[in-house]
Amino acid sequence: MTGIEYRDRLRRQMLPHILCPGCGHGIVLKALLRAARSLELDWDRTVFVAGIGCSSRLVGYIDGCTLHTTHGRALTFATGMKLARPELTVIVITGDGDGLAIGGNHLIHAARRDVDLTCLLLNNETYGMTGGQAAPTAEPGAISTTTPGGARERSFDACALAVAAGASFVARGATSLPLELDGLIARGIAHRGFSFLEIASDCPEYFGRYNQLGRGPEMLQLQRRRLDEVDRTLRAKRSLGSRRAEGPPPLRTGVLHERPA
Amino acid sequence: MAVAVKTKETSEVQTEQLMTGCEAIAEAIRLADVDVMAAFPIRPYDTVMQAAAKLIANGKLDCEYIVADGEHSQFEIVKHACAVGSRVFVGSSGVGWFYAFEAIAVTAGLRLPVVAICGNRALDDPGAFGTEHNDSLAVRDLGWLLPWAETAQECLDLALMAWRVGEDARVSLPVAIGLDGGFLTHSQQLVSVPTRAATDAFLPKFDLGDRLLHPDNPITIAPQVDQDWLMEIRRQNDAAMRRAIDVITEAHADFKKLFGRGGDSPFLDEYMTDDADVVFFGQGTLALPMKVAIRRLRAEGHKVGLVRLKWFRPFPTDEVVKSLSRFKAVGVVDRDYSFGSPHYGGVLYNEVRSALYSREQRPTIVGFVAGLGGREIDQSMAREIYEKTAAAATGGLSAGDQCHWIGVRE
Repeated sequence: MTGIEYRDRLRRQMLPHILCPGCGHGIVLKALLRAARSLELDWDRTVFVAGIGCSSRLVGYIDGCTLHTTHGRALTFATGMKLARPELTVIVITGDGDGLAIGGNHLIHAARRDVDLTCLLLNNETYGMTGGQAAPTAEPGAISTTTPGGARERSFDACALAVAAGASFVARGATSLPLELDGLIARGIAHRGFSFLEIASDCPEYFGRYNQLGRGPEMLQLQRRRLDEVDRTLRAKRSLGSRRAEGPPPLRTGVLHERPA
Repeated sequence: MAVAVKTKETSEVQTEQLMTGCEAIAEAIRLADVDVMAAFPIRPYDTVMQAAAKLIANGKLDCEYIVADGEHSQFEIVKHACAVGSRVFVGSSGVGWFYAFEAIAVTAGLRLPVVAICGNRALDDPGAFGTEHNDSLAVRDLGWLLPWAETAQECLDLALMAWRVGEDARVSLPVAIGLDGGFLTHSQQLVSVPTRAATDAFLPKFDLGDRLLHPDNPITIAPQVDQDWLMEIRRQNDAAMRRAIDVITEAHADFKKLFGRGGDSPFLDEYMTDDADVVFFGQGTLALPMKVAIRRLRAEGHKVGLVRLKWFRPFPTDEVVKSLSRFKAVGVVDRDYSFGSPHYGGVLYNEVRSALYSREQRPTIVGFVAGLGGREIDQSMAREIYEKTAAAATGGLSAGDQCHWIGVRE
C-alpha cells in the first residue's frame, strides 16, 4: 500500500515512543496501519485492545479507539466489547508473555469460542518491558536475565496451540517480511471468527544483546535466514555462531490454518 | 547487579558490599539456602528474580527456580513446595500481588511459612510504578506478618528474620517484607553481608515437624471444614499472630548478639525522640527525608523526632502505646490511602489511633497522606507536616482537620 500518511493515524503527542532502537514492534504497527487502510476500516468502529508489555504499548500510539488493559487480559476485555457491540471490529495486540503466559488461558478460550476478534501476538521471546526475562517462547539455551545459564524449559508453538484450541484463522508473519505481514493482518481482520496471528518480532536491547544476535538489522537478517530453505539446510551443518544450543528453529510464515467460522 | 566496590572484612561474621535492596534480598536467599523460588516479572519486584537467577547461574545458590506463567501460579508453586518441607521465597508488586491473591489468602490459612517481598507499587489504574503501600496492606487482615524495610541492610536482615520467625513452630505464618518500590528496591547502599556460618547460627533448618506433607507422614492439608471447625482454625491463626510478638523479640535479640545490628527495639526505630514534643510516625523509606527534615527543624530549635514502625503485623500495640504516649503530638504519615475510613485517614493513622484509644494519656494525632505513586516527600512537605502537627499540639484539632493530603496540586 503506498501513499499512507502514518502520522494521520498516530497520536503525535505520545511521540517519541518508548520502544528501543531496532525493536521490531514498530514494523508491526506500520503493517497494521497499512492493513487497516487497505480494508478501509471505519476508524470510529474499530477498537484496538492491548494488555501489558512492550507490544501492548502499541495501542498507545494509535490515534483511534484504543484500550490498554491489565496483564494478560486483553482478550477478555475484547470479548466483552464484541459481545456488547458486535458491529465493532476488535483487534487485540498482545505479546508472548502477555498472551501465552499470564493470559494463556484466555487465548485458549477465545480460540475455542471462535469469537470474531483478531489477535496479533508479537513474539520476541522475552519480557522486554520488565528487563529481559525469559518468556515461555524462549528457545532452550536462550540467555536472559532469568536464564543466565541458558533456558532449560521447552518453548511452545503458539500457532499450533491456536489451531488445537479451535481458532478458525491462524497465520504466522515476521517483521522481516513486512509486506507479507500487511496481507496476513488484512486477511485476519477480514476473516469472520477468531483470527490468530503470531508475528516474529525482535528485541535487540535484551534478547539480542544477551544472545549475541546483533542489533535490529542483524536480527532481521537472522530472521530471514530462519525463513530460508537453503540456509536452513546449511545451518544443519554449521552453527550460526549463536550461543544457543542448536541455533534458532526454522520459521514458517503464511496462513497455516483457515476454515469457515 | 551487586558490585563489590568496597568489599572489606568488617568482622569474622560479615563483609561489606554495595547493593540494592532487591540484591540484598537475593543475598539473604543465598544465605538462607532457599530450596524453591518462583518468579514472575513485574516492576519493581523483578530485580530480585534477576539477582537470584544470577546467583544460581554462578553456582552460588542451589535452588529450584521457576519463572511461572503468572503471579497466581507463582504463589501456588511456593505454597505447595513449602507444604512438603522446602524453604521458599516468592514476591511481586502492585497488581501482580493482587493477581496472586487467592494463593496469598490460602497460604496464611494453611499456616505455611512462605517468605515473600512486596516491592510496593501503586495499584492500577491509573498506571504508576512508584511506591504506595496499599498492595502489602491489602493482606493485613489475613495472617501474614508484615515488616517494612528502610535500608538495603534492613532488607537483608529482615529477610533472615522472616524465615526464622515465620518458620518457628510457635508462629508458622507467611511473611511479606515491604520494600518501597524504586527508593529501596533499586537504590544501592552499603550492606554488611553475614557469612554462611554466622547465618546458620541464627537461622535453623526448616522443619515442619508433624505437619510435613510426606508419604511417610500421611496427613491432610486444606480440608473442607465448613462451620464445624472454621472458627477454631481461625482462632489458631489469631493465637499464632499473638505469639509472633515474642518470637520476633527473641529473634531480634539473637540477631543483635550475632551481628550487632537492629537497634534497641525489634518493632520501633526512634530518631531524636529523647526530648521531642512532636514526632513523625511512618514506615519504610519515608524515614530518610524525615530525618533530614528533623535535623533542619532542630537547628531552628524545634523539638521533633521520628518513630519508624518496623513491623505492621503483628502490630506492636504495647510498644507503640508506650513510645507515643511520651509526646504531645504525633504526625502519622501514610504512604497509602483508605477511602471512606474514619476521618478519611490512611491505614496506619487509624491503626495508631485505635492502639492509643484506651490510654488516658494520649498524644494529639494528626494524619497525613503523602508520597503516593512514588511522589517524593520533599523538605517543604516534611515541614508542612511538622507545622500542622505542632499547631494541633497547641491549638487542638477541629473536626474536619484530622487528616491532610500533602503535596497535592490544586
